[in-house]
Amino acid sequence: MSQDISAAMQRSKSRPSLRGLVPWVVFAAVLLLLPFVFQGNSTAFTLLNVIGINIVFALSYNMLLGQGGMLSFGHAVFFGLGSYAAMHAMIAIDDASYAGEGFWAHVPVVGMPVIGMIAGGLVALVLGWPFCRRAGTAFAMITLGLGEMVAAAGQMFPSLFGGEAGIYGNRMVGPQWFGLELAQSADVYWFMAFWTFLAVFAMWAFTRTPLGRMSNAVRDNPDRLQFIGYQPRNIRFMIFIASGSFGGLAGGMAAVNYEIITPEALGLIPSGLALLMAAVGGLGVFYGPIVGAIVVTLMNSMLSDYTDASILYVGLVFLSIVMFAPRGLGGGIEQVRVAWRDGDLGRRLPGWLTGTLAVGLIIVGMVVLVEMMFQATHGDDEFAQVLGMEFDAAALWGWLAAAVLVALGVVIKRATNKLREDQA
Amino acid sequence: MLKSLFTFITASLLLVGTAGAAETVKLALIDPLTGPMAGAGQPAFEHLKFEAKRINANGGINGKDLEIVGLDNKVNPQESLVQLQKAIDDGVQFVTQGNGSSVASALIGAVEKHNQRNPGDEVLYLNYAAVDPSFTNERCSYWHFRFDANADMKMNALTTYIANNEDIKKVYLINQDYSFGHAVSKAAREMLKKKRPDIEIVGNDFHPLAKVKDFTPYVSKIQSSGADAVISGNWGQDITLLVKAAAEFGLDAPFYTYYGASAGVVTQLGDKGVDRIYQINEYYGDFEDPEMAKRQVEMYKETGWDFYYLRLSTMLDMLKKAADKAGSTDPVEIAKAMEGMTLETTNGEVLMRAEDHQIQLPMFMSVMKDDMEYGAEGTDYNFHKVARIEREDVTLPTTCRMRRPK
Repeated sequence: MSQDISAAMQRSKSRPSLRGLVPWVVFAAVLLLLPFVFQGNSTAFTLLNVIGINIVFALSYNMLLGQGGMLSFGHAVFFGLGSYAAMHAMIAIDDASYAGEGFWAHVPVVGMPVIGMIAGGLVALVLGWPFCRRAGTAFAMITLGLGEMVAAAGQMFPSLFGGEAGIYGNRMVGPQWFGLELAQSADVYWFMAFWTFLAVFAMWAFTRTPLGRMSNAVRDNPDRLQFIGYQPRNIRFMIFIASGSFGGLAGGMAAVNYEIITPEALGLIPSGLALLMAAVGGLGVFYGPIVGAIVVTLMNSMLSDYTDASILYVGLVFLSIVMFAPRGLGGGIEQVRVAWRDGDLGRRLPGWLTGTLAVGLIIVGMVVLVEMMFQATHGDDEFAQVLGMEFDAAALWGWLAAAVLVALGVVIKRATNKLREDQA
Repeated sequence: MLKSLFTFITASLLLVGTAGAAETVKLALIDPLTGPMAGAGQPAFEHLKFEAKRINANGGINGKDLEIVGLDNKVNPQESLVQLQKAIDDGVQFVTQGNGSSVASALIGAVEKHNQRNPGDEVLYLNYAAVDPSFTNERCSYWHFRFDANADMKMNALTTYIANNEDIKKVYLINQDYSFGHAVSKAAREMLKKKRPDIEIVGNDFHPLAKVKDFTPYVSKIQSSGADAVISGNWGQDITLLVKAAAEFGLDAPFYTYYGASAGVVTQLGDKGVDRIYQINEYYGDFEDPEMAKRQVEMYKETGWDFYYLRLSTMLDMLKKAADKAGSTDPVEIAKAMEGMTLETTNGEVLMRAEDHQIQLPMFMSVMKDDMEYGAEGTDYNFHKVARIEREDVTLPTTCRMRRPK
């Protein structure tokens, strides 16, 4: 036992060394290399830019849910209001640079995320105090109400929110920094890469601060925290503000990327998106929401090209992750990493591989089933062809094959569970 | 699972990059095609595909085949911009969209900026149903063409019909509480005041958008106001539930609507809508023209959707005419040719006004009837023409000051 502790202490002591830098170097290298991989492919850049925004959005949401234990249904309020603030600033820059004078004529569009961050933080500061008395259901219900209220207000004050058509601006105005013209999505990528890296690093650094540690404590045991002299409410409030600021920062990035913001961005659907991304990626691991943001963004934007059942698939992914892998995709990666570090990989890998195989079989079986149902009711669906599946919904063997695949998957899963129990 | 996910991600990122060959002219529909709003996008998608077949059989667009690409935007403006970029990379030069002025607003801005920033790679945005008047007034764009009457033109036609109906003395307005609903209400009040100052507006209600399940309280207010007619810009469930509640309450005042005949309403209302729900639109459900009747029958058989969007047919026909006239499928040439172009349709001549790119067309007031020769959605109900409002009575001046490329 004491050996464990000293080993753990040693590990934590060695943290600030070079090893801790490795993930950041890799992250920066990936960000620098991506443009060369996708050169000339503006769709890929467009998607990468959206992924960047969503990464920051999902991570800021996870500050609340994963680290602070506060389930929020209104996080898009900060994202949206940050975006609105940045858009109004962009319009002010446009007007001022026309006249060539005034404060805004000297503000670069590259700095818009800062405006979004300030706005998001201020909104959280003003609204947050009464919300943070409790976590759990009460907090969830209040944020749900907040989201609905702000979204409704967005439709009702057209001068500020632009009505249904929203407000729009132009990012190619004001002083240029670093020669970044921001004309094409490939230019915007550098802007996104810079802010994504900075925001991810800042949010990671936040988890290392005493406040970041306290947020885990307030999640795990608020009563005990009170006994040792901290006010859970104050801590929740501070996390709320930090999370709102980074949500607003993501909104500022979105304002530059889309050059339009509409009141829908404040509503329940984008708030749900944040939850979806964080949960799919995994709440317990810092980089989980990054994985979630990548997967969910791609599914949202690409899957509907191939299948009319795309929303069903997104729902199934969410459902199966909540049910079978509550630690999310990031949690899965983390498990493998920890096992590898501890030299435990050889022993545990067979179980994981068969488990993966089982889940894979179940998924294929389910996809075949869904596609055949679709074919039977709606006619052809392209997704089936993409996966190399040509089948006839009228033939019985197809349905049988799907059932066999799913059954096989379940059997292997059970065997795997038993194997793991024996090991443990 | 991770591996399949990885291959999916790389495949999807690589697949999108392959630019399309230039043999066909691609028209992308960016509208909700999956999920709860799919009922708004799918009929348009099927209509476009159905009509593209006819165009291609008649020689296509300046000799090239027209290909319709469907892109799902989930009625989200941001997602629509991602889909627009996908379309452009896929070699699409013409984009069409109709559901949601928020999406239209995003697309107008994005297409304008794209064309400014990428000369030689222009894209045209053909709007078939986003009716915010500002798109052909203060926000007008050279790259945007609207093939639907805008909200004010519809109200102009609707109020002309009411003004000619001497029996109507009291009008009640009920609309959704957001920018569009407020615009409808404002236009109705202003135009009625001008055309029939004696008409009294006995109520002007706004209800939450798509949230009301039971309209009975609103209907009882309408009843006690003694209104002879109700004007509503409601769409989706808000119009179906409103008229249903009125029928169950026994309110006899007719409803003059913008979207009373949109997909699903006929099936859901059934008998309750007969003689109660009117629609102002560029078409109606009689199909007196045998050619149109043939298309209605064939399209319903082939796709399961009605031949409802006459304006989509007008749009494709005008695209073809412009391409043939210009002898090119280049969007810049087509835009030039389309300005001020006229087209003979089943309803007579329509004009794409050069000043603001707003189509000028006659409109029709129709009412839901039973035992129609060509029923909608497989029923016997459809909308029967009661009045034709000529082009001159629909048209409105514009404040557009178009910035044309050199």
